[in-house]
Amino acid sequence: MNIIDIIVAFLLVSGFIFFLGGAIGIIRMPDFYSRLHPAGKLDTLGIGAMVAGLAVYNLHHFSLTALLVSGKMLLIVFFVFMSSPTATHSIVDAGMRAGLRPWTRKEGANMEQSEPRKEEN
Amino acid sequence: MKLVGFIIVCLTGGLLLYGTGELPAWGDPNSPASTHLSDDYITLALEQTEAPNLVTAVLADYRGFDTMFETAVVFCAGLACFLLLRDFRPKKDHYYRHVPTGVMLHVKNEARTVRTGREFEDMDREWVPSDTIIKTVCRILIPFIQIYALYVVAHGDFSPGGGFQGGVIFGSSLILLAISYNLKTLVKRVTEKFLGVFSSLGVLVYVGIGAIAMALGGNFLDYGKYAPIFGEHHIRALGMLGVEIGVGMAVTAVMVIIYINIVSEGRHDEGL
Repeated sequence: MNIIDIIVAFLLVSGFIFFLGGAIGIIRMPDFYSRLHPAGKLDTLGIGAMVAGLAVYNLHHFSLTALLVSGKMLLIVFFVFMSSPTATHSIVDAGMRAGLRPWTRKEGANMEQSEPRKEEN
Repeated sequence: MKLVGFIIVCLTGGLLLYGTGELPAWGDPNSPASTHLSDDYITLALEQTEAPNLVTAVLADYRGFDTMFETAVVFCAGLACFLLLRDFRPKKDHYYRHVPTGVMLHVKNEARTVRTGREFEDMDREWVPSDTIIKTVCRILIPFIQIYALYVVAHGDFSPGGGFQGGVIFGSSLILLAISYNLKTLVKRVTEKFLGVFSSLGVLVYVGIGAIAMALGGNFLDYGKYAPIFGEHHIRALGMLGVEIGVGMAVTAVMVIIYINIVSEGRHDEGL
């Protein structure tokens, strides 16, 4: 049980916790927008921690090849980190443009559709 | 009529299911598929073609003729999309956005077009993509996607990948450009003429490599005949790479042609 194993276990478990929370959140959240919130978390922090853990694990037998593979894994994390929040953002934007009103606690408020939002310009 | 169709579907499906009962078991070493050719491919392919990826060796070398017509099929799909959907009538209305103020401009007279640039930008009638976040992220991502596509094409004979996959990735990077900005931006950079030439050039590269091998005294697509020009070393893998580049060009261009024609209903002005 050396230090690398501890780091790997920590990263994998924290990634797992984020995945679990995200999966529960997608099911339990009340409406479209709030469901996108856990979905975005899951794609960034969950994947980030998990793949970072795997990248560290890959460095057990240290060599240049292993370092290169780990670097590619971290590149994947980097691109997911950039593209996933953007995708979430654009989905929310599309929902607002289509006129879907965010959920509120009032009864039946989430059922009615508002008018399509007027452009500011 | 619906009932007849339903019965025909049920009968065909039943027949197919009945037929699967006669199929050999999964991975059966005595099945006809793995007794004749597969062994030869597995044992001889690396030696004969010097390409470590057997799938590419089979697709681009042993069955290069088949893959050539697959490329031709992709090209025909793009051509059919163009012939069916392309609509050359120009649209009369134009929409512009004044960038500093965000005021929308609706020009009804066809003759008076507004010059776009720093002050005015083109806009679609219904969809108004002006999101800085999406634009910036896509601008950062697109070059990396394109480099990755080239990597996939170039490594077709060493690792999973090849012309079809790399071409699709490259095409989707261009489609991402159209989605994040608007269709006019894409059409301005990748013109229709360029796409047409590029797609047919891809098929021509493939066929040309085969035909030149014939001119050098071999069979069609016999890459070994290029040895006097490029040297003996890895010559068949090199031939496969050339062919894959042709496939990648054709697939890239056809992807973009199909996308542009479908989203703009053939008018190439606005759409998704």
